Amino acid sequence: MDIQELETGQVTVLAINGRIDSTNAIDLGNKLRALYAQPGRRLLLDLQEIEYISSAGFRTLLIALRRAADTGGRLALCGLTSKVRELFDMGGFLDNFSIKPTRDEGVNSLA
Amino acid sequence: MKKPRNIVYGVDDIPPRGVLLLSGVQHVGLVAIFLLVPVIACRQAGMPPEKIIDVLSLSMLVMAVGPILHALRRGPVGSGYLCPPIFAAAYLPASLLALKAGGLPLMFGMTIFAGAVEIAMSRVLRPLRPFLPPEIAGFVVAMIGVTIGLLGFRHIFGIGLPEQPGAASYMVAAATLALMVGLNVWTVGAPKIFCALIGMVAGYLMAAAAGVLPAADLHRLSAAPIAHLPSIDHLGWSFDAELVVPFVVAAVAASLRAIGDLTICQKTNDADWARPDFGSISGGALANGIGTFLSGILGTIGLNTSTSNVGLAAATGITSRYVAFAVGGIYLTLAFFPKAGTIFAIMPAPVVGATLLFAAALVFVNGLIIITSRMLDSRRIFVIGLSFMLALAADVFQPFFSQLPAGVRVFTSSALVVGTLAALLLNLVFRIGVRRTQTMQVNPAAVDTYQIDEFMQTNGSAWGARREVIERARFNLMQSIELLAESGVTQGMLTVVVRFDEFSLDVLVSYNGAPLELPERRPTNEEIISSYEGQYRLAGFMLRNLADRVQVNNRSGHTTVAFHFDH
Repeated sequence: MDIQELETGQVTVLAINGRIDSTNAIDLGNKLRALYAQPGRRLLLDLQEIEYISSAGFRTLLIALRRAADTGGRLALCGLTSKVRELFDMGGFLDNFSIKPTRDEGVNSLA
Repeated sequence: MKKPRNIVYGVDDIPPRGVLLLSGVQHVGLVAIFLLVPVIACRQAGMPPEKIIDVLSLSMLVMAVGPILHALRRGPVGSGYLCPPIFAAAYLPASLLALKAGGLPLMFGMTIFAGAVEIAMSRVLRPLRPFLPPEIAGFVVAMIGVTIGLLGFRHIFGIGLPEQPGAASYMVAAATLALMVGLNVWTVGAPKIFCALIGMVAGYLMAAAAGVLPAADLHRLSAAPIAHLPSIDHLGWSFDAELVVPFVVAAVAASLRAIGDLTICQKTNDADWARPDFGSISGGALANGIGTFLSGILGTIGLNTSTSNVGLAAATGITSRYVAFAVGGIYLTLAFFPKAGTIFAIMPAPVVGATLLFAAALVFVNGLIIITSRMLDSRRIFVIGLSFMLALAADVFQPFFSQLPAGVRVFTSSALVVGTLAALLLNLVFRIGVRRTQTMQVNPAAVDTYQIDEFMQTNGSAWGARREVIERARFNLMQSIELLAESGVTQGMLTVVVRFDEFSLDVLVSYNGAPLELPERRPTNEEIISSYEGQYRLAGFMLRNLADRVQVNNRSGHTTVAFHFDH
């Protein structure tokens, strides 16, 4: 898993590449925890290059969502491929997250 | 069966009468040019024009019965789809050989024989299914699209036609095609669903205005009687064993074409289409065989399904099988009113060419979609790629193929026959060494995700499995291995067995340890966040839901989790 971080106005975009599973979910969790250490952080996770996400990855995202709420921040996702979207659907996560089709729409929704 | 969004009247919908009639006229108009196939054969036999009218009328009777036989769904006859047949150009070379050897009676007799061959073949298509995989059906469909497209260009460029076209003819073709495509792309409702008919009528008018209608055709129209009861004086039948091979090859080509056309019908009518339904295809091939048999009895040329009509139905969104009855009724009427039939038969070449190109574009792309719906490994890539090259070579290097010995030439009569036979043969060769069950050992302490990916991708491609099913199975395998490794259920090696046939994909994960928990209820977000137990239950819940069936067996501490995926 590779993570590319960039700032777009008030929004921090994390473009994640590869797979999110039990071998790297802790690394992603640490990264997200560090970002939400700043109150009011607006974070967009671009999952366009994600090919697989396991239950460990979903748990990490749920924890990030909780942390965003606790710190007055916000979290949105964008760029889900059809197969990753199917995993979100199967896990019952489509309603939990704010999911936008593209990065631009994701940034606009958080701006 | 789930009706796709672009279909206005699906296969079982009954359109209003006006739509039925106009749609029927559209279908008849599209392929009326093929009425010339028996006419060409009769002219070759030196039959006088007044007798040719009888042949044309009897041919229309056959064309009336053909679509109705196809649309039937009760009993063994019929595919249950709108799939009007036409006189098969594939039968023309064999028929001309018969004419040369024994005149019309031999041509009629051998056509009856070919019909019997098609009928017999239709009964064994189902057992032959493993040798006719979807990507080959897709290839046949794409090749049919190419064949129709080239036929369209032949009409537009006047290749092999008695009169060479000029600038006016090209303009008529371009304007007709532009009108059909424009109406189809940018309009809705009646203009869209009757785009081909509107284009044909406009094409006729433009051809008349531009002076493109040949004088000989206008003469044929004025000479044709208004009403006429066909005579059967010219009928007679004979048989020659030396002509068995060319007629069997033509019958095989017609059957393969039926598989391709009916595959398009099925795919066009079902948004959830996954594979050819051979029950319907066998019924359609039987209807086709009966049609060809009847052609021989009534003294005309053999039939095959019409890809142009199937493409037209898909393009206009009217795929109702009840249109077949309208088509049958129109042909029945035309059989006794030759002047009306001749209006269709003298359709100007640029209009015919434009209409064929319009249908060909859709058919060709449909074929590509069927091919790419399956994962293709190097074997399948060579089956499709080499067959396509051979088929093109048969068309481009015709002089070379025409010099081949007569025994070989019967197998190289057209690009479609060459390509299809090559694909079937290569598929047979490449089946050698493909195992349907594969096993892999996985160490949960050091999971190599690349190895698991590779295992699923390689086998999925070798089996020609559907991409989305392999993706779901791949997720289940990765998640179950991750779950077993993380939860500490087992410490030893895991054995993964993957089994495939065309209808199912089974993934079996075996290990020494307690059974995995695969809950039916999703854990709450709070449960997932608060402990790893919640995360494991989420994993089990997703594993259960992504597979179509799950079974867990535990015997003496050895557990097997079987994930079944419908394919």
